[in-house]
Amino acid sequence: MDRRRDGAPAGARAGIAILTACAALALLAPLLVNDRPIVARDPTGRIIFPALRAGRGVASGSGDVALLWPPIRRSWRDVDLAATLQPPSARHPCGTDLLGRDLMARMLHGARISLAIGFGATLLALGLGIVLGGAAGLRGAGTDLLLSRVIEALSCFPPFILAMALQAVGGGGIGAMVLAIAIGRTAAAARFARSETIRWRGTGIWVAAHAAGASRPGAALRHLLPLVSGPLAVQAAFGVTHAILLESSLSFLGLGVPAPLPSWGAILAEGRGSLDVAWWPVVFPCLGLALTLAGLSWAGDRISPPIVARRLLR
Amino acid sequence: MTGYILRRALVSLPTLLGITLIAFAILNLLPSDPLLTWSDGAGPVSAEATSRLRDALRPDSGPVMRYATWLFNLLRFDFGHSLRDGRPVTAVLTEALPWTLILNLSALIAIYALGLPLGWIGARRRSGTAAAGRALLLFLSVVPPFAAALLMQRLFAVRLGLLPLQGTGAGGAPGPAAAADLLRHMVLPCTCLALAGWAYAARYARAAFRAILAPEAMAAARARGLHGFSLARHFAPNSALPFVWMVAGIVPALVSGSVVIEAIFSWPGLGQVLLRGVEGRDYPLVMALVLLAAITVLAGQLVADLILPAIDPRLRDLVARDENVHG
Repeated sequence: MDRRRDGAPAGARAGIAILTACAALALLAPLLVNDRPIVARDPTGRIIFPALRAGRGVASGSGDVALLWPPIRRSWRDVDLAATLQPPSARHPCGTDLLGRDLMARMLHGARISLAIGFGATLLALGLGIVLGGAAGLRGAGTDLLLSRVIEALSCFPPFILAMALQAVGGGGIGAMVLAIAIGRTAAAARFARSETIRWRGTGIWVAAHAAGASRPGAALRHLLPLVSGPLAVQAAFGVTHAILLESSLSFLGLGVPAPLPSWGAILAEGRGSLDVAWWPVVFPCLGLALTLAGLSWAGDRISPPIVARRLLR
Repeated sequence: MTGYILRRALVSLPTLLGITLIAFAILNLLPSDPLLTWSDGAGPVSAEATSRLRDALRPDSGPVMRYATWLFNLLRFDFGHSLRDGRPVTAVLTEALPWTLILNLSALIAIYALGLPLGWIGARRRSGTAAAGRALLLFLSVVPPFAAALLMQRLFAVRLGLLPLQGTGAGGAPGPAAAADLLRHMVLPCTCLALAGWAYAARYARAAFRAILAPEAMAAARARGLHGFSLARHFAPNSALPFVWMVAGIVPALVSGSVVIEAIFSWPGLGQVLLRGVEGRDYPLVMALVLLAAITVLAGQLVADLILPAIDPRLRDLVARDENVHG
């Protein structure tokens, strides 16, 4: 037991370090891998930052002078049929895929999409769940009975099946995907929010907040939500794990992000056909997913005690 | 006890109604014209297709009317007709159901057969083997199931050529040869489906066994002279509990997981039907499958709730008290 407790902070630290690295790579992807310069001077002498701008304009034709290039001058969507399925090399650190697209660029931009969908869907699910479960817990009586049935019915749908069905209706796109995954994960969050609200309702904190003139939803948000932030963080970590797995599974089945966009699941699905001759389009996304999921699970397993302890000691 | 069973089943009824409502709402309260959505905005190709779609989707009658009709038809096990080929949904489902059942049930058995002993070892021993087991489980839980399936398919079917790549075998006359062929085709999909479950089951069972077989409880039992078989019998009822609890967690995972696994191994089950239904926007088919999945999960919870009091006297007491209160 002691050994386990001593080992815990190291595991949590490793998990958080992995997550931070993934998030940093994802956020900085346009600056690390891009076919547009980071800093350039346009013909009028102004300094511009083409890499940060969305859209496709390439600097060469417009008379811009590039001042600083990203370390890897590749785009995640440039097809190069002369260099298909190149093994990893100095030119292409992760190799190229069946269409000659640079896998490093696709991996990093895929991290952006996978993480954005994972965190976005989880936040949305938590928001929806807190509203639904909080309302059930606060109003009590008939409202609780009704909302609890809704939550219970919703929780019977396996999230993956629900997200698949919603994709049939939503018609693809990242927004629809985030919504589909979020709805699939709402029931878990709502259950948690309801039980925690009921647990804390009527305690000293609750009465004191009322005496100070807080409204019921106000008191719940300002005074109860911080109390449960520890378990909530664990819920969120599990939620993100599930959401990322859902996203990659959907993309793997071809029901996820629309075609040219890279997500880890989509890269894996594209690499599946050429697995006989090239391992890299399958192995790198697997590694990315496994690392992220391991990071989340280590961080999630051990994130709560310190947060809760800090809250109680303050 | 009968009262408890009846009441527990009755409690599920509103949930069941809610499930049908949600399944209906997802696929029917479309903001846009379902006819246009179905044909990607181009409009149905022919007059015949239009009339068939109108018959199936009835966009002109109100949602309440459509829900009532759908629900009424459900009671007669009439799920409507597939938009793709006009076959009754029930026929499509009954054709695929046995394949999914056989795959999922074998996976469930495999999960229990291996996950529980792993959890037991993890709870009883703190040696190197247990640590290695934990590392393996952690690895299993972070590798996405479809990635593991792809790599295992490549390794065992393509590289080593030990097992068939995909499908269910040649079929043919039922007999030992056909059964052996089917078994060989099932090994890979079943293992891949069980992979994630093993991690879950072992983790869950380890925590449960650790609590049940606490050193104090063991010492007390030994102090009363129990050993060997009698000791095992003493702890058996409590140790059986995690078997039942776990169903509620494993069933939804299996239902979801089998979609991906069936797609990778071209297994002709319900997952493939769902995938094709979603791709082809075959709304009646998707509605029926979503409903089926939810009902399966609900039934799993119900069964677990009914079995638990039979094993756990504490729950039996609760049930008895509950019955006294409710008359």
